[in-house]
Amino acid sequence: MPDSGYPWPIETSRLDNGLRVVVSEDRTAPAVAVNLWYDVGSRHEPAGQTGFAHLFEHLMFEGSVNVAKTEHMKLIQGSGGSLNATTNPDRTNYFETVPAEHLELALWLEADRMGGLVPALTQETLDNQRDVVKNERRQRYENVPYGDAWLRLLPLLYPPGHPYHHSTIGSMADLNAADLATFQAFHQTYYVPNNAVLTVVGDARATEVFALADKYFGALPARDDIPAAPDGRTVAATGQPAVETVSADVPAPRVYVAHRGHAFGTPGYDVLTVLATVLGSGRGSRLYQRLADGERIAQPDLVGAYGVDLAHAPAPLIATATARPGVSAERLAEGLATVVDELATVPVTAAELDRAKALLSTAWWRQMSTVDGRADTLGRYATQFGDPARAADRLPAWLSVTAEQIAETAAEVLGAADRVTLTYLPEETA
Amino acid sequence: MTLIADRPGPGAARPYRFPPVVRRAAGGGQVVAAHLPGQNLAVALLLLDAGAGRELTGKEGLGGVLAKALEEGTAQRDATAYALAIEALGTELVTGLDWDSFQISVQVPVDRLTAAVQLLAEAVRTPRLDPADVRRVRDDEATALRMDWANPGPRADAALRADLFGADNRWGRPMYGDPDSVAALDVEDITVFHSEWFLRPGTLIVAGDLDRIDLDALAGAAFAGTGGGPAERGGPIEVPLRADRRIILVDRPGSVQSTLRLGHPSPHRAHPDHVPMTLAGTVLGGAFTSRLNHLIREVHGYTYGIRGEFASSRRFGRFAVSSGVQTAVTAPALVEAVGEITRTQAGGVTEDELAVARSWRAGQLSVELQSPRAIASALTTLVVHDLPDDYHARLREELLNADVDQVSAAAATHLHPEALTLVIEGDAAVIRNDLEEANLGTLLTHP
Repeated sequence: MPDSGYPWPIETSRLDNGLRVVVSEDRTAPAVAVNLWYDVGSRHEPAGQTGFAHLFEHLMFEGSVNVAKTEHMKLIQGSGGSLNATTNPDRTNYFETVPAEHLELALWLEADRMGGLVPALTQETLDNQRDVVKNERRQRYENVPYGDAWLRLLPLLYPPGHPYHHSTIGSMADLNAADLATFQAFHQTYYVPNNAVLTVVGDARATEVFALADKYFGALPARDDIPAAPDGRTVAATGQPAVETVSADVPAPRVYVAHRGHAFGTPGYDVLTVLATVLGSGRGSRLYQRLADGERIAQPDLVGAYGVDLAHAPAPLIATATARPGVSAERLAEGLATVVDELATVPVTAAELDRAKALLSTAWWRQMSTVDGRADTLGRYATQFGDPARAADRLPAWLSVTAEQIAETAAEVLGAADRVTLTYLPEETA
Repeated sequence: MTLIADRPGPGAARPYRFPPVVRRAAGGGQVVAAHLPGQNLAVALLLLDAGAGRELTGKEGLGGVLAKALEEGTAQRDATAYALAIEALGTELVTGLDWDSFQISVQVPVDRLTAAVQLLAEAVRTPRLDPADVRRVRDDEATALRMDWANPGPRADAALRADLFGADNRWGRPMYGDPDSVAALDVEDITVFHSEWFLRPGTLIVAGDLDRIDLDALAGAAFAGTGGGPAERGGPIEVPLRADRRIILVDRPGSVQSTLRLGHPSPHRAHPDHVPMTLAGTVLGGAFTSRLNHLIREVHGYTYGIRGEFASSRRFGRFAVSSGVQTAVTAPALVEAVGEITRTQAGGVTEDELAVARSWRAGQLSVELQSPRAIASALTTLVVHDLPDDYHARLREELLNADVDQVSAAAATHLHPEALTLVIEGDAAVIRNDLEEANLGTLLTHP
């Protein structure tokens, strides 16, 4: 068993304004990954402003004091780089991987939009990107069968007022109501150096990166009163299952079973990660063996189980199956629930455990096989747990999970009394 | 001022290098490997000349069914035992199919690679292919395709392909088949195709730390029990352009977006204009900064994204633009897109745009070719298209040296806005009138 999941050097520094800088040198390829985690996500959004953190992420590509509209993309791509950004309930990350000689350009661009976005932000840009985001919502959630499952599961899992109650994409009504002043304030509140982690991985020396970080970010002012998101650590059990059935334009019945488990980064979440792999990853998983192969009530490519890596509240664990032709939603739901229930009562065998750990090992090293994968991982651990080196603990923690822990955790958090079941029915049979 | 106004220039460029390539005849087949020192993860990929182009017309989707059937048990163990054995190594069998090849691969920590290749070969060379299992897998695949075809896109893609290449030809039908073609396959189709194409040695691609990998042992496992030589692969296919632009409307009642697929035939992969054509496609629609994405997304806000590019296989190619636009702006989005293609064909590209496109394409060779999976895919390109070991280094030079005249000439020669087929999958009742009034071409309704 490896004693570390991160066998590369990690060096850290903190600028006077609070920006944390993480560097992991690796000269294997002439490329460097630059990654910024801002500790702001949709969990910070108040009622009436759902979708704002994500819409804001779009605005970050639309120009800043020294960078013209759309020039950010042009400069990174014109350097041979790849770039993107994502927003989730917990955080917003921005990242680019460039040939190593363009490291300084990437840092200059990130500093300019951290320190100089507001003067460049116009009503026209906001209106344009609001339309783009509304099209993103249509494309990803509204125009595809089952596309809104996640939007429906969240409010079933988390009560009103909980920071995970609403989805990151937000509501059309809130997006329509978004005004410029709110976004200016959003940037001034959250896009400050002491709310961010800058990670650089690849063909660069730590001393060089620290000096460049100080040069470009060092004079940006900190803010000492960043408001915290609502606390969602404790979610009271309702004691009764939540059930929602949707009739929609879908090709077959589909069932989602979801539970609140433990927060990402806790020992309990490590157990749930292994448990989800035993339950729903691969043809050797319990769901595949029981529902797709054994009883043959589920479509083989569409069974699965996974945890959602959220760190600020008990995170969702989701299992799903889609009915084979002629199989009713009721029968499928019963089959799915039975397999989930058995995690507490039918002990996981050594072979099941070894299989899950082998698949997780490969998944871990796949994430580590690129500089961008490593940079995002280090940024996560620095942001959420205060220390990038804790990334090295994750793989050993998975590998030390026992069958007894899985049974105990299943009994603790996967009980039928606290279960969310979401079922889709094809419209004509409803 | 707390920000530095001056944009920094680049530092000293690092030399570009593609990992050292090893080619070896071993165990009765060919091995092509790349050395990735220190890499914990390794990929082995068996490349077979059994792509969709090998399927007969009417049998499309056969390769996809066979790919799944390989895992339904082997001469040595049943399906469950096989799944447990291979997943205990930390990998699943990953299969891929394109027009030119069939690929099956494993990805594992490097010390497990030999065991994983042994299991891969067991499934490819000695699958059980029990008739009852094959029929069930076929039905499951037909259902899976029906599920997929409920999404926007597959029907539009199929309509475009049929219109460009002719539905009488295999290459005018969907690469993975459609729900009906798969449902109509019989067991013998699968078993005959297997014995014809899956028992030839093929090429074993390996990406990993070769100091910790025994290539001869891998070759011995991958090629055991194989026979038969390479088969004739056929030359480029002449595909005529249409004389007039046309619109094909695929109805999707209630759709909140219209799915756009615009295209025409273009040259095959070995055409001498491949590089300037790629760059012309990049300027027009291949990068986030492209003309189409700028106009349709950033200026008009009609879409979340729009892409256009030339794509090519050994025997044929096509230029295609794809997007999803809000239903209400379907016609104006089409007018703008066709207008931009027309301007690019007529006016060529500017030095400023080309500078971004060639740097981006060249830089991506450093940035995107990092993981063993990505390197294995690059090696696959070498084999399928008969390219030399230094291909990626040469490609980089060709990209960086392409000038405005060459790329503009490629745009003028290989873009055909007047011959485009415009497929729109959307709510016909809402958009039909607008499409007729847009005057972009004859409007046909897809059956």
